[in-house]
Amino acid sequence: MAPPVLSDLGYVPPDGGWGWAVVFGASISIGFAFTFPKAFTIYFKEIQAVFNISYSQIAWTTSIMCATTYGGGPISSILVNRYGSRPVVMFGGLLCGVGMISAAFCTSILQLYICVGFITGFGLALNLQPSVIIIGKYFLKRRPIANGLAMAGSPVMLCTLAPLNQFLFDSFGWRGSFLILGAILLNCCVAGALFRPIGAGTALVKTQVTEEAKEALKGKIPEDGPMENRAEEEGGKDCFEKINQYLDFSLFKHRGFLIYLIGNVLMFLGFFAPIVFLAPYAKHTGIDEYSAAFLLSILAIVDMVARPTTGIVANSKWVRPRIQYFFSFAIAFNGACHLLCPLASSYTGLIVYSSFFGLAFGMVCAMLFETLMDLVGAARFTSAVGLVTIAECCTILLGPPIGGILIDTFGDYKYMFIKCGSVMVLAGTFLFIMNYYNYRMLAKEEKERKTKEEEPKSP
Amino acid sequence: MPPHRGGGRWQMGRAASVISRPVASAPSPLLMEGLIRSQGHDWEDPAMTTQDSSQTQVNSVTKMQPGHESSGPHVATQELKPASKEDSVYEIVLSGAPVEKNISVASPTKVELICKLGEDSSLKNPQVTWKKGGETISHTTKTQNSWSIQLTISESSQLGSYTCILKGEKELTATFHLHVPKTEGREKPVITYIGDTAVMVCKTEYNAKAWTWYMTNGTELAPINTILHTDKFEIMRKSAKVSRLEIFKLSKKDRGVYWCEAVFDLGSSKARFELKVLSISAPLKPFIAVVAEVAILVTTIVLYEVYSKRKGKVNQKKTLLGDPSSSRQRSKPQKVSKRFLERRFKPREVENITKLQKMYATMHFKHSLCFEVLYI
Repeated sequence: MAPPVLSDLGYVPPDGGWGWAVVFGASISIGFAFTFPKAFTIYFKEIQAVFNISYSQIAWTTSIMCATTYGGGPISSILVNRYGSRPVVMFGGLLCGVGMISAAFCTSILQLYICVGFITGFGLALNLQPSVIIIGKYFLKRRPIANGLAMAGSPVMLCTLAPLNQFLFDSFGWRGSFLILGAILLNCCVAGALFRPIGAGTALVKTQVTEEAKEALKGKIPEDGPMENRAEEEGGKDCFEKINQYLDFSLFKHRGFLIYLIGNVLMFLGFFAPIVFLAPYAKHTGIDEYSAAFLLSILAIVDMVARPTTGIVANSKWVRPRIQYFFSFAIAFNGACHLLCPLASSYTGLIVYSSFFGLAFGMVCAMLFETLMDLVGAARFTSAVGLVTIAECCTILLGPPIGGILIDTFGDYKYMFIKCGSVMVLAGTFLFIMNYYNYRMLAKEEKERKTKEEEPKSP
Repeated sequence: MPPHRGGGRWQMGRAASVISRPVASAPSPLLMEGLIRSQGHDWEDPAMTTQDSSQTQVNSVTKMQPGHESSGPHVATQELKPASKEDSVYEIVLSGAPVEKNISVASPTKVELICKLGEDSSLKNPQVTWKKGGETISHTTKTQNSWSIQLTISESSQLGSYTCILKGEKELTATFHLHVPKTEGREKPVITYIGDTAVMVCKTEYNAKAWTWYMTNGTELAPINTILHTDKFEIMRKSAKVSRLEIFKLSKKDRGVYWCEAVFDLGSSKARFELKVLSISAPLKPFIAVVAEVAILVTTIVLYEVYSKRKGKVNQKKTLLGDPSSSRQRSKPQKVSKRFLERRFKPREVENITKLQKMYATMHFKHSLCFEVLYI
């Protein structure tokens, strides 16, 4: 189910070359966006002692950060639609850096909420979405591999950030660490610098050549450059159309988009809670702290390998046309792992669970954005990703607290695992059925389109 | 390394940490168990109480022995009434290897120490001695398979190590270490900056009567007087178990080791903190290094892009003009000079040839354009 090439993007994506540099930059950006909140928890104890606050008060910092990162999606999309990926990512990197540097001089928890929570969170939002978007612009045939590699940045960054944070904290205390972390976050600007703009109007076909080519060949090459050209050409438009131009709300009429949205919103209810509670669960069954931390390391390592591998598998000719089924299978597999977790009571059982969990987690993450691109096409992906992240924001934040409530009420971790597992199996099944329906409708529409072959298609 | 399966039995690890080897969960002749049963101490973990119900068996042991008077090594202690009426019973079940147990005693209390033989142990009717240090304790009590002593701890001198020795074919020993509760400090140094505020939090598991903080002056410890220096130090007693020292307006002179001391009825225990005061330049160096690295990388990438764009433009110009050195050229028409033609051909033929040349040039141009457009 490859989307038609020219009508979607207006040009042929390079599928290589500078694209690999873009993938590297995207993996850095995505890595920071996903792992920074997790790595930040090392400072909790110290800041709790210094500011004399409770654990829940300090935990709000990362919650605000996550919420802003996902909730800032639509703003990110609008900015990318207007200015392109590169300036947005560089500005995001600057914002992150400024946020953390100012956090180093904070004297109250409220200031920390603002500096670390809002400013850094928003900077990370401006990093995450454009990185994912630009992969769709540089890759088509090898897009799943590129997505898998870019998402692999997350576990790699986690494995480096966590010990680095600990080292910085031991050497410089929390204030010095925040200062240096601010500088490290500025590396997102480096990633942004790699995001060379690409598009039919900008990249390879120079204007003079196109004009002469137009004359010589008497044909028209569609231009799909920055939106503002179109605005100048078409003059006055009404407000709704203007909004649509920056953030494509017509996506809500897109069948594939709606299926993806509902399925993913449901999935995220049970996605992150098991990771949050894996170490406490291990300690609850009597395992010591270091072995419990080792479980998380196993998860990260398996995750690191699983993501690019999934990308390669998803790119193969058997899976790529039916990638939505593969995604639903990955989600259901993830759910099944959680449902079976309560059966694992020994340490070996938990190691097996961690490995399978890492595998399933990596599979889902690698294909998270690839499937959305596959459904809506790379041109509308910019708006789609923004709308999807703000919708997912609520369930992502609700997931771990609901799990926590279940644990506190029943005093047993198994209900949390059952809840997460069942939610994910449900989401996987839902996506499987609905995508089967979607594929059939798309095949039908393709057939209808082909029967009208005599009409010249205007792209 | 198999994980330590302390699990549900060892609730308050700190107060009664068992120095024992990892256990197999199946009972065997080498089974070692230590059960802690304690009432009256202020346990922080509410789940502890659920464990208490399983200890009724041990409880009944104490109730069976009201008639047996325990005598500690100091007869005088028998007359002293303990400050609290709670009973604490500690039991060790013996097997092959010597077992030790740490017990925290905060306030004067009655303590019963029991040494019990495992069910499958091969020792029959051993001779049991209880010792503290080198002294033997008399007046021990014996039940079917366990030997115990009852102590009333009311002075710090009564704290120490009590050993029970079972002599038979083999000799089995078990030791109970009674000591004042330990306080928890920080092993890693507390790092602060000049002008900042330092916070040190000291914790213990039992209610302390008083807290004192000391700073080191050379080799001696000087207590910190908050009344004298109200703008510099502040000690807050957050609860009976937590004390908090804040030092304001730090300078390099405040560096060093600080001690917090928790005073209990039976003694006191100290915890150590190390304070490091850095100047702002310490993290500034890595900060500037990273910012420089970012700036260099960004500049390099941008310059490389500008360079490659310029190269691309030059290449395209060459394509348009039919330059033989540019890429993506097929058979290029050689531009022959007019003079060369005039020498060899008649004027009309020269005209035709130049016309042909121009035609070929435009055709080639269009041809190469097609290449450019379609094959980029």
